[in-house]
Amino acid sequence: MAETTADVLIVGGGAAGAALAWSLAETRMNIVCLEQGDWVDHQTLPGLSTDWEVRQVGDFNFSPNVRGRREDYPVDDSESPIAVSMFNAVGGSTILYAAHFPRFRPSDFRSRTLDGVGEDWPLDYRTLEPFYDLNARMSGVSGLAGDPAYPPKELPLPPVPLGKLGMTLARGFDRLGWHWWPSDSAIVTRDYEGRAACVNAGTCLVGCPQGAKASTDVTYWPAALRRGVTLRTRCRVREITVGADDRVTGVIYYDAEGVERRQRAEVVVLACNGVGTPRLLLNSRSARFPDGLANRSGMVGKHLMFHPYAMLTGIFDEPLEGYKGPTGCCIMSQEFYDTDSARGFVRGYSFETLRGFGPVYTALWGMNAGRLPWGPEHHAAYAQLFDRTASMVAICEDLPDPANTVTLHPELKDADGIPAPKVTYRLSENSVRMLDHAVARGREVLEAAGAKAVVVESPLRLAGWHLMGTARMGNDPATSVVNAWGRCHDVRNLFIVDGSIFVTAAAVNPTNTIQALALYIADTMKRRLATLFDD
Amino acid sequence: MIDGVLSPEETAMLRSLLDVVIPPSGDGRLPGAGELDLAAHVARLVQQMPMLRPVLDYGLGTLAQQAGACRPGGWAALSHEERTALLEEFTRSDQFFLPAFLFLVYSGYYQHPRVVAALGLEARPPHPQGYAMAPDDLSLLQRVRARGRLYRE
Repeated sequence: MAETTADVLIVGGGAAGAALAWSLAETRMNIVCLEQGDWVDHQTLPGLSTDWEVRQVGDFNFSPNVRGRREDYPVDDSESPIAVSMFNAVGGSTILYAAHFPRFRPSDFRSRTLDGVGEDWPLDYRTLEPFYDLNARMSGVSGLAGDPAYPPKELPLPPVPLGKLGMTLARGFDRLGWHWWPSDSAIVTRDYEGRAACVNAGTCLVGCPQGAKASTDVTYWPAALRRGVTLRTRCRVREITVGADDRVTGVIYYDAEGVERRQRAEVVVLACNGVGTPRLLLNSRSARFPDGLANRSGMVGKHLMFHPYAMLTGIFDEPLEGYKGPTGCCIMSQEFYDTDSARGFVRGYSFETLRGFGPVYTALWGMNAGRLPWGPEHHAAYAQLFDRTASMVAICEDLPDPANTVTLHPELKDADGIPAPKVTYRLSENSVRMLDHAVARGREVLEAAGAKAVVVESPLRLAGWHLMGTARMGNDPATSVVNAWGRCHDVRNLFIVDGSIFVTAAAVNPTNTIQALALYIADTMKRRLATLFDD
Repeated sequence: MIDGVLSPEETAMLRSLLDVVIPPSGDGRLPGAGELDLAAHVARLVQQMPMLRPVLDYGLGTLAQQAGACRPGGWAALSHEERTALLEEFTRSDQFFLPAFLFLVYSGYYQHPRVVAALGLEARPPHPQGYAMAPDDLSLLQRVRARGRLYRE
């Protein structure tokens, strides 16, 4: 069979790759996506069985190191206080994400100008705004209009219910006079575009059997496939090949049987997340790019940003019905979002309130918190915890630091023999001070809401969901990897659309911005098709 | 052997140890963990998470050995109070067995239909039925709305 050449080859079928594939597909180009994971059968998701909480710490664990599935790759995060979380499948980490879907705020694109830290992005909020709106329609975003913390925005569906737990915490914020607002959520609260409405089952973090949560296997991918995109699953890319003219020629990958194959392409787009993308670039060394592809700046793998998290759990006297409702979507507070020099740190954080714990997780959390003894006192202690906890997290803005890196591990490899990534990361002093401030303020909220005790985990280790900054965008090829529309400075037919191109991290969940950026880059590519590789 | 993982002796010991960790509640509403068929659950999880096997082997083996040193009949001859004391003593010197064992026990006990029902929940998977939630009264947001714009361009 003759080897075909794709017009556009996308590596990674998660949040960004799916959005870009759908958008580009209207051009009728030959678009191929290689995804190392497989389709997830929603009828086998844990939420349909009584052992769903146990599977959350087992085969649906956030950590690829714990899951250890064939499609996962190991990540050495032993030199980081924050462990990397991700999922490999059609839909990527959106399969397990909470679907909390805030936008970045306008000031997040201008941190250097406004606060003297980080770098300004080479684009602004108003540029991305129509793509945020488009993403809201494609994903089915629920929320309440009128949040004074944001410019007006499109929210197609009403907000997720706050319930007894959410209203209890809302009263805490209200008593302190602090900002709070129902969360923007990529969860359909009414039947929408063929997806059934959320039933408040509370299993979002192990996938949504209902299809109410906007994982891209139920949003962008069905539409992209109808438009003619080819999606090949269980295909893991080892390296990107490059010609003498500094243009990429395609990729070498392993198929489902582990057979090495080649796919030629006119354009390659990386959508592998903030760890997977630098890993692939660094593993694509050649005579032309001895330090890794598109890495003449030396910036590939640098400036890794997480969101340092603090988690606070209040223990209340009354039942809160906290097992009901979307797990990670309830209330957002941005009272402490902007820089206030009196606080002793720059930039800020958001509070996001979660729900309570199910029966099993109540016991496991109580054990780890030292609040659940075994033996004769067990039942009395458990009764004080079950359905009486409400958790919230502070999600702190991480400042870009070149010392925080993704590199290739010298020995560790995945199932196909490809070098695994190694994460080296330390919390900055700014983050430490911000976390301390957030813990103190979070405790105030919970106590104002009526909590009789508060348990703190800070920094939260298993919180490396947001992987950003390792191939950042910018106008200067000496200090950035891609330009303002995602094209690599060094390689004119190579694009990147995932969180690795973020310049700063903001203090909100990144998926909405990742997808808005992917849609913006796709739109720019379409408008520039005739001059895509020009200066 | 249960599911090829636990021997009959381990299974018998496990059942009584389960009651030490979670005895029946005083009001009789909640069963002791030993009343429930958790040995199969433990065996299944140990198969799924093989790293737990040596910890479980070591803990059960040590407890059996120490029980044998206490009384000729070993663990089976001990009273509930003596078993509790033995477990307390063992876990003071070993930091690995108890967390692993409690994970196995709690994860089985608190998903068991009898326990879930006794907690006041329906003993069913969350999906597809889910849970009904009443509409919220969001009039409390008036104070936030009144503050006006809270973002910088």
